[in-house]
Amino acid sequence: MDTLFKGRLSRRTLLKTGAGATALIAMPSVLRAQTKELVVGGAAGHKPWVEQIVVPAFEKKYNCKVIFEGTRSLVNLEKMQKNKGSQYMSVVQMDDPVMILAVKEGLLDPLTAAKAPNLANLVSGATHMDAMWANYLQPWLGIAYNKSVMKTAPTSWAELFDPKYKGRVIIPSLQNTEGLPNIFMAGHLANGAAIDAAQKDTDAGFKKLATLKANLLTIYTQQPQAYNLLEQGEAYMIACGMSSYALERKAAGAPIDLVAPKEGVFAMPSGIAVIKGAPQSELAFAYVNEMLGADFQSKLAEPTFSLATNKAVPRPAGLAADIKIHQIDWANVAAEREGWIKRWDREMAI
Amino acid sequence: MSAARRLDPVLLLALPAVLYIAVIYGVPLLVLLGRSLLVGGVPSLAPFISFFSDGFSWIVIGNTVRISVLVTLLCLVIGYPTALALARTRGAMQALILVAIILPLSVGVVVKAFAWQIVLRRDGIVSQFMTGIGLWDEPQRLLFTEAGLVIGAANVFVPFMILPIYSVLKLIDPRLGEAAATLGASPFYRFFKVALPLSLPGIVTGIAFVFSMAASMYVIPSLLIGDRFQTLATLTGRSFLFMRNEQLGSTTAVVLLVLTVAVVVASASLSKRLGGAS
Repeated sequence: MDTLFKGRLSRRTLLKTGAGATALIAMPSVLRAQTKELVVGGAAGHKPWVEQIVVPAFEKKYNCKVIFEGTRSLVNLEKMQKNKGSQYMSVVQMDDPVMILAVKEGLLDPLTAAKAPNLANLVSGATHMDAMWANYLQPWLGIAYNKSVMKTAPTSWAELFDPKYKGRVIIPSLQNTEGLPNIFMAGHLANGAAIDAAQKDTDAGFKKLATLKANLLTIYTQQPQAYNLLEQGEAYMIACGMSSYALERKAAGAPIDLVAPKEGVFAMPSGIAVIKGAPQSELAFAYVNEMLGADFQSKLAEPTFSLATNKAVPRPAGLAADIKIHQIDWANVAAEREGWIKRWDREMAI
Repeated sequence: MSAARRLDPVLLLALPAVLYIAVIYGVPLLVLLGRSLLVGGVPSLAPFISFFSDGFSWIVIGNTVRISVLVTLLCLVIGYPTALALARTRGAMQALILVAIILPLSVGVVVKAFAWQIVLRRDGIVSQFMTGIGLWDEPQRLLFTEAGLVIGAANVFVPFMILPIYSVLKLIDPRLGEAAATLGASPFYRFFKVALPLSLPGIVTGIAFVFSMAASMYVIPSLLIGDRFQTLATLTGRSFLFMRNEQLGSTTAVVLLVLTVAVVVASASLSKRLGGAS
């Protein structure tokens, strides 16, 4: 199972180099035969499970060929921009913040219940901006902790602020998507505001988060590094810890675990959409429909350590039925993020 | 005669390098500069005005300059004696020192930064040593501190200080020192009045190398100190890669460029004035 995410490290590295990305955009697509070929753009880290689980099942059912181009969200966006009017990719799997950019540029074909019937079976909050895209899987965010240095698992997000953890807590940078919920949860802890309200008004959250500074070991941009410190026991907790990474490390034998605190966990975005003007449009919608179906999702949820978005698929082990799963308002994030990062730099980074 | 020098065909040998730099470096640089001065297609200094009128920008510039100066100093203090040793030794010993300096360059920066993480953490080697000899009362963490960043960055850049100094030192006629000695100069006097002035061009070149690399390092601070310490380079990287704010990114990039070019040009002219061709 641990081989499934081997690509992830390289994806993170790629994220940092950026330069390599340009070369990838310029690369011409693979020469394709005349019919029944579907090109799906996605993240390099997804390649193992897409090619081992999704592609064989889909190809068999629809008698076609699926080519998965694994890069990263922003590269996929650039590919779609460059090929506007003559798209060669049909489906795109990207993070939600990038989906918003694609919607703004008119690159996506909205999903409809007629073309993708499984839309009707999704949990609420799994489709966005009038079903321009849907979430097929949602890694969840909780608190990752080191089991050998913390004998009792944290049960509340408030424990991060406990003075006894001075210099032992790691949080993600706000530039990392998994870093955003810290503001919202801090806002909730500060004045009891509902998470939805705390997403809109982040002032209390920022003020509360500033009191975490004494406890911070570092603010990471490189996820593997943070987990390295956690596994060595230099850090006790990472908040937010992402299920697709933390549980993968746990499965590989690292002395860590991911807990769902009582205030709830956050769902991370893994969006899927059909590209406007896509070749093989019918097949593209079929692919999206399958990815939203219970059959595919039940096969994918476990190896990706993620929540399924189809109602028929049960929650994964480790996530009790009464734990609230908070959805993030990505349109709001897109509008506010730059301002948040500015404030974060001035208040957290000094 | 000057006409003959202008037409010297040997100069054409530099053509491939010049073309390469022009295409790979010059053109993007002009684009970058253009972008930083254009707001919505109209030439404007507004990005720079808003950048410089923001107190946070000055903190970032201060961080960049302070770290670069400290890294450069540490490299000089460690590098000069090493270069001296390298220039004095011969044969197998010299080869050994050279390999020891150059081989670590083949290890990627990321690997080194991860190694430093092991060395600098609370129960790391440095902390154990310092508490062991009684200098520190209790284990301390250097990781994610400025001191840790300086130590780690100097480790990566020190070869770029050693090699230019070494290349100048080995050209110095050893008889100069001997001549000074026969005239009664003490070793101390010989070093400060003979060896050091003669090696200044190498020092200046080394400083230019290390300073500009330290000012523009991106991966090392992101691994050794994290997001709580912003430099011009990390701010630039983030503006382009994450915030997709090309305006801010090109502005910070130009500020960084001006800063490092100023240091490089100043050291080049200093080197010329000190009479050496480095």
